[in-house]
Amino acid sequence: MSSSVSSSFRLVTTRIPVALSSTNSLFSSSSFKPTLSSPFLISKSISFQRIETRNQSRSPTSISASSSASLQPVEELPPKLQEIVKLFQSVQEPKAKYEQLLFYGKNLKPLDAQFKTKQNKVEGCVSQVWVRAYLDNDRNVSFEADSDSVLTKGLAALLVLGLSGRPVEEVLRVTPDFAVLLGLQQSLTPSRNNGFLNMLKLMQKKALELYVEAEKGVLESAQSSDGGSIHNELQSSKLESNGDASSSNSTVVGSSSEGEDSVSNRDVKASEFPGLGSRGTRIKEKLEKELGPVELDVEDVSYQHAGHAGVRGSDGETHFNLKVVSKEFEGKSLVKRHRLIYGLLQEELQSGLHALSIVAKTPAEVEAA
Amino acid sequence: MEGVALKFPPLKLFNPNFPTSPATTVTFSSSSSSSSCSASLPVSATAGKEADSALGTLSLGHLTRPDFPILHQEVNGSKLVYLDNAATSQKPHQVLKALQSYYAGYNSNVHRGIHYLSAKATDQYELARKKVADFINAEESQEIVFTRNATEAINLVAYSWGISNLKPGDEVLLTVAEHHSAIVPWQLVAQRTGAVLRFVDLDENEVPEVEKLRESISRKTKLVVVHHVSNVLASFLPIKHIARWVHDVGGKILVDACQSVPHIVVDVQELDADFLVASSHKMCGPTGIGFLYAKSDILSAMPPFLGGGEMISDVFLDHSTYADPPSRFEAGTPAIGEAIGLGAAIDYLQGIGMQKIHDYETELANYLYESLSTIPNVRIYGPRPSEKVKRAALCSFNVEDVHPTDLATLLDQQHGVAIRSGHHCAQPLHRYLGVNASARASLHFYNTKDDVDDFINALSETVSFLNSFK
Repeated sequence: MSSSVSSSFRLVTTRIPVALSSTNSLFSSSSFKPTLSSPFLISKSISFQRIETRNQSRSPTSISASSSASLQPVEELPPKLQEIVKLFQSVQEPKAKYEQLLFYGKNLKPLDAQFKTKQNKVEGCVSQVWVRAYLDNDRNVSFEADSDSVLTKGLAALLVLGLSGRPVEEVLRVTPDFAVLLGLQQSLTPSRNNGFLNMLKLMQKKALELYVEAEKGVLESAQSSDGGSIHNELQSSKLESNGDASSSNSTVVGSSSEGEDSVSNRDVKASEFPGLGSRGTRIKEKLEKELGPVELDVEDVSYQHAGHAGVRGSDGETHFNLKVVSKEFEGKSLVKRHRLIYGLLQEELQSGLHALSIVAKTPAEVEAA
Repeated sequence: MEGVALKFPPLKLFNPNFPTSPATTVTFSSSSSSSSCSASLPVSATAGKEADSALGTLSLGHLTRPDFPILHQEVNGSKLVYLDNAATSQKPHQVLKALQSYYAGYNSNVHRGIHYLSAKATDQYELARKKVADFINAEESQEIVFTRNATEAINLVAYSWGISNLKPGDEVLLTVAEHHSAIVPWQLVAQRTGAVLRFVDLDENEVPEVEKLRESISRKTKLVVVHHVSNVLASFLPIKHIARWVHDVGGKILVDACQSVPHIVVDVQELDADFLVASSHKMCGPTGIGFLYAKSDILSAMPPFLGGGEMISDVFLDHSTYADPPSRFEAGTPAIGEAIGLGAAIDYLQGIGMQKIHDYETELANYLYESLSTIPNVRIYGPRPSEKVKRAALCSFNVEDVHPTDLATLLDQQHGVAIRSGHHCAQPLHRYLGVNASARASLHFYNTKDDVDDFINALSETVSFLNSFK
């Protein structure tokens, strides 16, 4: 790949591989000295090709792993986050880093409107950012996030992907140092950086809160057999460890095991699809009828959201993962595919279905993968 | 292999202003050129006749740019295009020199000392005050109080005049487009005094509704607080008329001139303003200094704001007597060097001529507005410019489905273009317009149409880049 000669103004910089700090001082002294003797440096310019070394000089931490003794070592980060850091380090061009960041943001699952609350809002962000956390069955914390700014959403996606599904202790150990390692810091204004730090802090705070509540829950339910209305997700997770998943792709609360009674208000109707309740069945049937898919997975993940206000009182089928492979998607953008599915499931959405996580592919795409 | 091409801008060896003396002025005579302002130079310029005729086609922006050292740099690999002047302006080397000369040559505390340095510092400080007075055509220097900035000046009026003059039920009239600094001090004072704040909305042209403002002025109106030029909407308010209406009912007017003093001719006697505030850093002067203008009879009747040295006459243990204005309101050691720097900035501006600056910026304003309007799905706030309706050289805008912060970040990172994103210290206005934030590009006389072109190109690319991810 050859970089094109830019036609915009560029200040003179030396191409000798001297420490670039000297170039910077040449540059800074010439721009602040209003002397007549060197008008060239002020108003003239030479345009030339971008030199790759320039980028490296700007992100000192990418030069060597041992560059900053004070930064938290990459190995201490959760594995997913390590991967992400390494990916960003391998991308040198700021623009490409942005593309990567925006790509992450685009693929971030949107956050349900009901979770965009004040407690979930990140302070210190120029844009609006929300973060929510919940514990899964293994007492690992998972996150969801959203933002109205696509760059911030990208940052949120990094954190969500990098930290989700990990034990709380691991999440709490992460320091903001890795932001420097990403090499995005130079590309981001201080205020956005603050948002990033605050996002991380809020996620850690929420993880800790969940953990503490869970611990309390264990104690309390150990003492009493009746769970009552305990909010936290621990109940469902305890449930899962007690119960047994009847099928590999769904572990519906209450469908297979008796467990704690706090979730007993969810009636499970018999269905022909193992592991799916009535709604799940309806979804599956509708999609099969309308899309004629070659592959269709409907997974009820409502247990991950059990206990929160929106779910209580419904029949428990509120959140689903869908994987649909159908020819109907050919020629349609991702957004159009999602809209198609949402359109088909309008009734469900209006009667208690809260969220869908959708993977929509054409047969050709699946084969190519 | 990389190629290197030499590229020279049209303005080559030319530098019309030399850092010879602090009081260097450049006289520009206006011409009737329709597309750009041209200028002829004093004999001291080294440029010969050839350069003179070449100058004929250069705009005020091109001519003054060399005076501003900070503009000639790269950020993030691109040439800096500074379009955030409504937030703060850049300083010509004449101002930098004045600061340097002060601190290197005669830094000394003012008004107190007897020795040579102190006398010189005092003279220069008071000379700066005179320059400010002349700049806005105040009757006398004593009507200028140096403050830290316009915000402090408004607080001064609020806590000094407001607290002692506002009674329960009295009304203070503002618009929804006011800057936070013009709103919050009055909220605080209203709480203390029981006065009521009233706000005038915008009309369909997104300008404060002047008729409504007029109707809202009643016997209860003790003060009207309005901007001269809006930092978001770029609109002008008819201060002279508003002042007359409020004087008719025995009230007073406070003019927030932060966006007007740096850009147009402001004549406080012609406007008949009771209070007027501005900040030095927006008018090519240093930060840390601003001023309050107030009519002398009003100022004389106002109690002190901050207490301390300098503002006193006699100090006893149990009470003190106070100095006459303006000293009464200048407690402690002032920002001496900065005031002198402001004086130098005023000299520089006067050297160009405020009317000339105004004319050039009107051209730029129209060019910016028109160019920005070519961006698809763009929404510019404030009135459309026309023969009757003038806009300041700034545009606050949004692009549909794009967050202004994303725009500003990428414009900076990928193109070196500096604009602002946020609420620009006008949250009520943004709430009124129904948006969380907006982006804003604001120009000053050292910007050129090339800057606008660079901005629009960069903006266009950025919007495409962001849209490609949808």
